[in-house]
Amino acid sequence: MKVETMQQTKLTARNVDVYYGAKKAINNVSIDIDNGVVTAFIGPSGCGKSTFLRSLNRMNDTIADARVTGEILLDGENIYAPDMDPVALRARVGMVFQKPNPFPKSIYENIAYGPRIHGLAPSKADMDGIIESALTKAGLWDEVKDRLHDAGTALSGGQQQRLCIARAIAVSPEVILMDEPCSALDPIATARIEELIDELKDTYAIVIVTHSMQQAARVSQRTAFFHLGNLVEYGDTSQIFTTPREEKTKDYITGRYG
Amino acid sequence: MSNARLSGAAQGNARWQTPEAARRIARRNAAERRFKLIGLGAIVLSLAFLALLLVIMLKNGLSGLDWSFLTGSDSTDPDVAGVWGATKGSLLTMLVTLLLSFPMGVLAAIYLEEFAPKARWIEWVEVSINNLAAVPSIIFGLLGLAVFINTLGMPRSSPLVGGLTLALMTMPVIVISGRNAIKAVPPSIRDAALAIGASKMQTVFHHVLPLALPGILTGTIIGMARALGETAPLLMIGMRAFVVTPPGGITDPSSVLPMQIFLWSDEIDSGFVQNTSAAIIVLLVFLLAMNGLAIYLRNKFEVRW
Repeated sequence: MKVETMQQTKLTARNVDVYYGAKKAINNVSIDIDNGVVTAFIGPSGCGKSTFLRSLNRMNDTIADARVTGEILLDGENIYAPDMDPVALRARVGMVFQKPNPFPKSIYENIAYGPRIHGLAPSKADMDGIIESALTKAGLWDEVKDRLHDAGTALSGGQQQRLCIARAIAVSPEVILMDEPCSALDPIATARIEELIDELKDTYAIVIVTHSMQQAARVSQRTAFFHLGNLVEYGDTSQIFTTPREEKTKDYITGRYG
Repeated sequence: MSNARLSGAAQGNARWQTPEAARRIARRNAAERRFKLIGLGAIVLSLAFLALLLVIMLKNGLSGLDWSFLTGSDSTDPDVAGVWGATKGSLLTMLVTLLLSFPMGVLAAIYLEEFAPKARWIEWVEVSINNLAAVPSIIFGLLGLAVFINTLGMPRSSPLVGGLTLALMTMPVIVISGRNAIKAVPPSIRDAALAIGASKMQTVFHHVLPLALPGILTGTIIGMARALGETAPLLMIGMRAFVVTPPGGITDPSSVLPMQIFLWSDEIDSGFVQNTSAAIIVLLVFLLAMNGLAIYLRNKFEVRW
């Protein structure tokens, strides 16, 4: 299921199973996620795509009875190894959630929090620089530069989601995981986020879980199709959507189920 | 198809115009009006009792409220007796209670909500704390007598022992209200902090706790107000002693306001009737001030989304 590419592999999963208690949510998934491209996870509800995404930065650790077996390597390093610090890992593998979740603080403080706890900005000037650059990369700077000290929660839904992306960018991650980042947004805000994802893919490896096949087709270069906890097919987005190899993939993308 | 829908619509309309339907609607509206009246009645009744209490106390006690009453201490002569000794005793006792029960209660709430493993013994801890909140206060008094005075040898009748005893009583209230406040913080905030690489402790202390603080403070002040009015457990640890000098510190013998009210209400001399009412006014002012503080703090720290 490996795709032949020139890109360097960023994340490698080998024989990954994820359990919630006795229930197996992900079954023997192996996948390579590359730098410089957007990888989309698609599939019907409950197929395990979000579960698998959350295992890539160990957010599943916060769920009491979740258990991950197999290997997930970030630059060849096993992220489930006993000496891997999940806190340091999450600074390298950022995440954007389905519902925009800014802290109930100012726009400035929302972004400053990450760099501050990781000691990335020794001086006020450094911090201001990080905040401007993160907001610029997230395409939000021009809209908020005059009101950085207003509440982040007072922004519109789409702006809040871009604020959350800026917050993730501010700690200079290597990978950004996005769990249905547009599902709570209107079409115009969605278009802005999709443009942004396209711009960010040169700097970060991006993995996006999406419900919308159209969105996967628009923003991603690779697509992985999940069904009932299995990775059914993984390949170039254009190939998956035009000439899927598996019958199941074909049925899903032609809208026969899901 | 369109025919069927039309006839369905006509049928629906007819269904709402029968006398039976009109009766149903009238019954529903009457039920709404009845409920509003009953609710209003409940509020008026409870406020009436408060008003009655205030009127009686003000009538009996207002003339006794003068400077010498507020600055004096207990005496056998009702004209000389004042409330300052008991007030100071109450303040010192509350200080001990707050300093002990607030940090303990909040830390216990944080641990149980955010860090505790999902294990059987944690369930036992939870049940025990909920039961502790329901234990009659006189039993805490017995516990205070046995542990703090008889075993640890702390001074009898002192605000220290009173405060410790009341802290035992207040802590479960703070734990329960604290847990509810922490539970009410949306999980998405925890996800947000964890996902940018905040540790568990940073997540809790930088994000969850500040958002839960208004609720925790409200619960704390309600618990403290209850402790302020508590008499029974303090009887057991000797705070009903006749003390003529205000306590100089938390280890001096002392009384507290509700105890002073209790003692004076027992006196035969009719001058103490006025004193009792006046002391009740002082206690009520205290309680109202604490509730006001609770509302102020809640509004001040409340985050608007």
